[in-house]
Amino acid sequence: MDLVRDVLDKKLMDREDCEMGRVDGLVMRIGENSQPRITHIEIGGKTLWMRLHPGIAKLAATLARTWGPKRAATVRIPWSHVVTAGKEIKLDVEARETGAIDWEIWIARHIIERIPGGGHEEEE
Amino acid sequence: MKKFLQIALGIVTSVGGFLEIGSVTTAAQAGASFGYKLLWAILIGTICLIFLVEMSGRFSAVSKHTIVDAMRERFGFPFFSIVLFGMVLVAFMVLVAELGGIGLSLQILTGIGFPWWAIPVSFVVWLLMWKGTFGLIENGVSLLGLVTICFVVAAVKLHPDWHHAARGLLPALEGDQKAKYGFVAVSILGASISPYLMYFYSSGAIEDEWDVSYIPINRVIAFFGMSFGGVLSMAVLVTSALALQPNGIDIDKFDQAALLMTTALPRWGFYLFAVSMLIACLGAALEISLAISYFFAQGFGWNWSESLTPSKDARFCLTYTIIILLAAVPLLLHIDPIKVTMISMALTAATLPLAIIPFLFLMNDPIYLGEHRNGWISNSVVGIVILISFVLAVISIPLQIIGG
Repeated sequence: MDLVRDVLDKKLMDREDCEMGRVDGLVMRIGENSQPRITHIEIGGKTLWMRLHPGIAKLAATLARTWGPKRAATVRIPWSHVVTAGKEIKLDVEARETGAIDWEIWIARHIIERIPGGGHEEEE
Repeated sequence: MKKFLQIALGIVTSVGGFLEIGSVTTAAQAGASFGYKLLWAILIGTICLIFLVEMSGRFSAVSKHTIVDAMRERFGFPFFSIVLFGMVLVAFMVLVAELGGIGLSLQILTGIGFPWWAIPVSFVVWLLMWKGTFGLIENGVSLLGLVTICFVVAAVKLHPDWHHAARGLLPALEGDQKAKYGFVAVSILGASISPYLMYFYSSGAIEDEWDVSYIPINRVIAFFGMSFGGVLSMAVLVTSALALQPNGIDIDKFDQAALLMTTALPRWGFYLFAVSMLIACLGAALEISLAISYFFAQGFGWNWSESLTPSKDARFCLTYTIIILLAAVPLLLHIDPIKVTMISMALTAATLPLAIIPFLFLMNDPIYLGEHRNGWISNSVVGIVILISFVLAVISIPLQIIGG
């Protein structure tokens, strides 16, 4: 598998085919006596902005501290949860529990639901 | 039978959705200043657009990806963010122009100045997005847009000299006023070849769940829809050449453009022009707001569909809500929509390589398209037109700025 061509930036789907962002970064572990291994998929603005410029990442982090859902750590999904990697990458997780769609939920609850006709994020 | 209906609806909506403030203003200006001489710009712009729209539909039908999805995957986030920035900036300016076009139409209908309309108009656009479904926006508004066929009626009623007009289909250099000629040509190309249309069309193919069996349908819709649309633009140019040029009227104000229908249709012309522009700009404003939101949602992997309840795709809805609100601001500040239109059309032409060259890479990628990838004809036609637009833009925009 070609990591950059077939994995990086691909769309991520959870168990219920809910979109949960894209593969924004990959974490590799290099052991002293073992082969390097891809251990995690990273999702989220922090990783993404770092790919552009550390300054932008810093600015984004400052803004996120005053506004938006509170979450300190970057979302990391262990590679063992990858089910298939084709057109999209399917994960054996629940998007909501991983924190990958915290922003989606926060915006739905704090802004969209308050506008008439916005509906409710939790309804089926 | 079902396929036939789909083709008919596809063509009708493409025609109804073709004209907007950019194509009307640039074509009217070309006719008023240079007679038939700039018809070639509409012709090559339309040919290029036929190819691009066909490619966008084919790309999504075969790969099940939108163009934006593939752009992020193939070129990675850093390059994607540059395209995102460029495209959203230009599309935003076009959105301001379209909202301004609605405002100006209401201004000539009611006599109340366009800045007063900025808030109500953006509210209505937002409400249609908030409450409407993709089908309503794609079909409903474009069907109403068929009223723009009145430009063809006007052009025919003025009995143009067809031989003379046909000569305008061949590019020729203009003796004096070279800078203005080039600038108007660039603006026409920018107005015809709108990248937002590609993003909108490719997302539509995904929303309507197209597959490989749609390739022939897509080809027919792209060809006939865009050709008829191009004819509408040409009709505006011809009407303007016959109604405005002899009287020495140059278009820098919208109410002057309204005069172009009154020569052919004295009684109804004025109102027909205003209503046509109102509907055409409304349709375009909706399409552009959607295209910008699609760009963000697909690029970042958010949920998106115009047919969901807003809270099910919150970030997507927040994007268009913010964009539409922001687009009302320049109008509140009395910035002239016609100026915004001309500048944004020229900028569209200048940024075409940024939008189209990565797209051509994707269209030739066997991983996405397999045997359905582009042949040399499509590549050459689009490549050449993009090159012409870019060179013309680089030369004429600075000249226009220097010349005022």
